[in-house]
This record gives sequence, structure tokens and C-alpha cells, in this order.
Amino acid sequence: MMSIATGALGAEQGALNATTNNVANANTPGYSRLRPVLTENDPVVVGTVTYGTGVSLAKLQSLRDPILQGRIQEETQQQGQLNAFVSAMQQAQVQFTASSSDIGTQISNFFNSLDQLSTDPTNLALRQGVLTAASNLAGAFNNTANNLSLQGSNLDLNVMQDVQQLNVLTGQIATLNLRISELEGVKQDASAFIDQRDVLIGQLSNLIDVSAIQSDNGLTLTTANGTALVVGGQNFALSTQINAAGLHDVYAQGKDITATLTSGELAGVLQVRDQKIPDVLAKLDTLAAGLATALNTAHQAGFDLNGDPGGNLFAPPPAGPGAAASMAVQITDPALIAASSDGAPGSNGNVAVLSAVHDQPVAAGQTPTDFYSNLVFAVGNDVSSGSAELDSSQLILTQLQDQRGSISGVSLDEEAANMVQYQRAFEAAARVVTTINELLATVINMGSITG
Amino acid sequence: MSSIRVNPNPMPGLLAALEELQQRQSTATQQLATGSRINRPSDDPAGAAELVQISDRNSQVDSFKRSIDSITGLLSTADSTLSSVVTVLQRAMSLGVEGANGTLSDSDRAAVAAELTGIQNQLISLANTSYQGKFIFSGTAQTQPFVLDPNSASGVRYDGNPGSNQITIGNGYQLQVNLPGSQIFSGAGGDVFQALHDLIAALQTNTNIDTAVNAVNGAFRYVTAQRVFYGNALNQAEAQQTHLDTEKLNLSQQANVVGGADMPRSCAEAGVLQRVVPLAQIPEQILLATRYRKRA
Repeated sequence: MMSIATGALGAEQGALNATTNNVANANTPGYSRLRPVLTENDPVVVGTVTYGTGVSLAKLQSLRDPILQGRIQEETQQQGQLNAFVSAMQQAQVQFTASSSDIGTQISNFFNSLDQLSTDPTNLALRQGVLTAASNLAGAFNNTANNLSLQGSNLDLNVMQDVQQLNVLTGQIATLNLRISELEGVKQDASAFIDQRDVLIGQLSNLIDVSAIQSDNGLTLTTANGTALVVGGQNFALSTQINAAGLHDVYAQGKDITATLTSGELAGVLQVRDQKIPDVLAKLDTLAAGLATALNTAHQAGFDLNGDPGGNLFAPPPAGPGAAASMAVQITDPALIAASSDGAPGSNGNVAVLSAVHDQPVAAGQTPTDFYSNLVFAVGNDVSSGSAELDSSQLILTQLQDQRGSISGVSLDEEAANMVQYQRAFEAAARVVTTINELLATVINMGSITG
Repeated sequence: MSSIRVNPNPMPGLLAALEELQQRQSTATQQLATGSRINRPSDDPAGAAELVQISDRNSQVDSFKRSIDSITGLLSTADSTLSSVVTVLQRAMSLGVEGANGTLSDSDRAAVAAELTGIQNQLISLANTSYQGKFIFSGTAQTQPFVLDPNSASGVRYDGNPGSNQITIGNGYQLQVNLPGSQIFSGAGGDVFQALHDLIAALQTNTNIDTAVNAVNGAFRYVTAQRVFYGNALNQAEAQQTHLDTEKLNLSQQANVVGGADMPRSCAEAGVLQRVVPLAQIPEQILLATRYRKRA
């Protein structure tokens, strides 16, 4: 009887211990609440009577849902990717926000300066106005292209930082894996370490498309295309190598995996660095080269103030990339603007030829303004559709985390109720001990002289 | 009793909701501040692209308007100069008619011829009128268009060229802004200087004065006809100016439809959110209150 009571005391104390731990970790990220599992002891049969032998605390069960955890990781990867993508594209779209110095405005300004020149073609101030507008236009292309390239190198820095952070995380996860398998090997509870590992895997998911496989010899983490990151107690560090474009590619065990990453912050950063920015730069190059070439051709059709045939207005654009970044005005002397169509200085006939470029297809069959407005649309659309996806991903993640909370989260109200319950049970068990004690005393005193 | 366990810690969800509300409030406030619904391309990519086009057309319209303003001075000067030319030619005609009167003595005719020579010089000076330092009847050349030349039949030589300029004052709308002096003063329909030269010679020799007066009359009618060009150009420029004003109004309305903020809505949104955001913080207070009560 005494052993039943002391067993109960121990079990209730263990249960209280679980409650205490739950309350203590109510705000610990990733903590999964513990639930004491009380089991009835095997009964003893004496003759025809079966006696219960009390309770014991089988284990403290950690309440978690591995499948839900996996969904949270997946969604975290998605969110990491979208977050990186949207914030990088938001920076890029600043270049295309309507202002007094964006490319679209400078295109308009340049053609306006030509209109002004046509009203008084020998006026040197108006000629200088055209040169200034042309160099502002070239400057707008230069700035936009340079800023985008700069952003590309900043993103490159992000890639290297992400890889470093990722290696730290996989190292920590590998260490935790070792501890967990040690504990589980001797059938002990490793839930505290599993919680910590889940948090780390969550952080890792934010960076890269990680998928987890639980096997007999521990947890294996790979990227979506199967590159091992952590196998049991060992982690495989990723590295970066500089490529032909001067940017860093991600390598795993000597293999370039840059193009295979599909989600996580790293994938979002790489998507902008390797696809979006080069794509926008290529479009800017097309526009700059097309505009410069068309204006040069128009310019060469006329005659300057000295009656000489017109030369190049802009430096001829290089073949291939770099036309936007290197766009420059070739003429410095305003008298050399070829406004005249008949060689006489007062003629403005060729200004109309230059102005006509405004409505000519110069880039991909589109007029300069059409092409530019399509570029603005493309960049804006990337941000807005990315933001919409990010919002819905955020919503899903919140719901998933809510769901996780409903399973694993600590409810202080519930713990308070449990505490009262366990405390009462403990008190009752203690009362039983006292009662037994009194019974024993009665028995002992039975044969005494004073009785 | 059993029920679905709810997440005991709703704070992350609450925070996300709060963040979204605050974002909406900031958007509404920005729209109110700028008066524009599209403050970056991602606000409405298609609208932003359309605004690029509208702003280009708008700035083009401004440019056309400025072109018209700068050309109006030139056109008016040319018009009033030709008006003077017409007046002077009228005087020459009446002098010629006076000289044709058979009662006039040789010395009287010589006096008339002398006055006509003065008129000839006045006309040359008018034909060499310049505007802002540039000769307006020299075609596209920059040289003084009419110079005295004894070797020329009319005694005056045209040094300009037959070129003319056009400016763009609308989409595909070109306005010719000058006539070369050769066309105005010595065109096929009537050569002003030749006619005067002939009239002076006729008076001096007292031969064929009537024919010479008729020639001056022809030149007068011809110049009058040329003058109409400048009058028309001025009218066209003025009409186009009005049209461009309308177009500018249309464009700004269009820009407003595409990118303008819906002010009442933004106002309402910002106002409502201002009240909702603090409300969203209340559940936290409720939570705390319940916990304190339990402990008490």
C-alpha cells in the first residue's frame, strides 16, 4: 500500500515537473509542450482478488506533428524565396519610378529640345540645349544600368553571406543530430534537442530548399535536387566560386548547384541576380543601342552649322551588352548638330528627321517610349505579382504556425488547470501516506500496555 | 467534454494582421500626400506603363505649345513687314499714276522718279528685315537676302536661297514658317524690284509709264497674295494652340483616371484604419487582463 502511495507521489511530481517546464518555455520559439503519460501498474492477483499496484509515469511525451513541421518548412522556403525576390525587385523598380530624371522623362526632354531647336535652328543656346538633353538622356541610361549592376553585386554579397550562414546552421544541426541519436540510442527523451533542431531547420528553410528525411541512423537534410547538406552527424558545407561574370556560384562538393536551387532566400536572390537584373539590363541595352543608332543615322542625313555633313550624335553603341552603361554623346560643339537638310545654316529640315525617331520602331519593333513603358510594366509586374504571392504565402505560413501552436503550443490556462489537478492528486497521495502511517501506528500500538 | 484545441498563443497571427493594417494605412496616407494612386510601378504595373506614355504625350504637347509661342513672333514680324511693303507699293502705284499724267513736266517726273527711288530703297530695307538678328526673307540662308547690284536687271540681287523651314506643332502636323524672299519679292507672278526699277526708268524717259504702273500693280497684288501665307500660318498656329490646350486638359484627365488617387476613399481608408489599428491592439490587453485576473 505504501509503495502505491509513494509511486503516486513520484508520478504526480513528474507530471508537475512537465507542467513547470511547459510554463517556463511558454515563449520559447519552437518549444513543443510536454504531456505526462501516466500508466496503471500491472495488478497483483491474490486468490480471487485482484489488487491494483498504483501508477507510474511512463514518459513525458513531447507533442509535435512532424508532417505539419514539414509543411511549415516548405512554406518557409517559399516565403524566404519570395521575400528575397520582392525586396530585391523593389530596389530595382526605384530606377523605373517616374521622376524628373528617369529614362522616360529624359527621352521626352530630348525630343522636346529638338522641337525647340526647329523654331530657331541657328540659335546656339537651343543647340546647346539639345546637347545637354542628349547627355542627360545618356546619363539616365548610364545611371540606371550602373545602379542595376551595383545591385547585382550587392546581391552577390548576399549569396556569399547566405552560404556562410547556411554552413553554420548545417554544422549546428549535425551536432544536434549526434546528440539526439546518442540519447535515442539509450532510449532517452531527446525532445529538447529535437525542438532546437526544428528551429534551426526552420532557419535553414528560410535560406535554401531543404527537405528532411528521417531514417534509422538519424536525420538527413538535402536540397530539393538531392544535394546532401547534413547526413546524420556530418554536415556538407557549401562553397562559392567566382564565375566568368565575376559573380559567385554556389558549389556543393565540387558541383555547381546554382541553377538547381528552387526556393529559400538563396534562390530568390539568385533569381534576381542571374535572371531579372541581366534581363532588365539587356532590355536597357537594346533600347540605348536602338535609340543611339537611329539618332545617329538621322543625324548623318543632315548638315551642321558649317555646312558639313553630320557625324555621329552619340558614340556608336558597342555590339553586345554594355550599350546602356556606355552611352555617351559624341559631339561637344553645338555648331556640329546637323539641323540643316540643305546645307544652309538656317534650315531646320533635318531636325524633323531626328524628331521622327520618337515615333520610329528603334527597339524590338517598338518606339522608344513604348519600349520603355513596357519595361516599366515588366519590372512593376514582377514586384506586384511577387508581393501578392508573398502575401498569400505569409497567410498560409501564419495558418500553419497557428495549427502547430494548437498542437504544440503551451496554454498557460491549461497548465494552470493541470497544476491544480496534479497538486490535488499529490496532496491526496500524501494524505494516503499519512493515513497508512496512522494505520501502522494503530497496529504497532495494538499490543502495548497502555492500550 | 472535448473540443478542438486552439492555438494558445495567437500573437504571431495578430502581429501579421496588425502589420497588414499598418501597411494599408501607410499606402492610404501616401496616396493622400501625393494625390496619386501609383507611386511606384508595382502599385499598378499596367497603369504605370500607361502613365509613361501619357507623360510623354503631355510633355510633347507642352513642347508643341512652346514651339508655337517662339514662332509667333517671327510670323507676326513677317506679316507686319509685308503689310508695310503693301502700303509702300500702294504709294508707288499712286506716284506712278501721278507720273503718267501727261501735263507733268520733265522735272516733275524726275521728282516723282526720285521719290520712287527712295521707295525702292525702303522696300529693300523692308525685304532685309531681321528678327532676333536673323533675316526673315533669306530662305534658310543666313546672308543678307537683298543687295544692290547694278549688274542685275532690277538693280537688286537676291543672295538668299529658295529654302523654307517647317516646324512640328502637332502629331504629324507640320507648319511651314517662312517663304523665301525670292518667292515674295521676285516671284514669277510679280517682281517688286523689277517693276519699280522699270517704273523709275519709264518716268525718267517718259515712255510706257502706263505699262510700268500696271506691272507695279501686278507686283502689289502678288505680294498681297504672299502675305496671306503669314496670316494663315498665324491663324493655324493660334488654332493649334487652342487645340493643344484641350489636348493637355484631356491628357491630365486621362492621367488622373489612370493614376489619380481616389481621394475620398483614401481619406476614408486612412481614417478608418487609424481607428482600426488601435482596436487590433486590444486583444493583447484582453489577454493580459485575463491572465492577471486568474492570478489574482
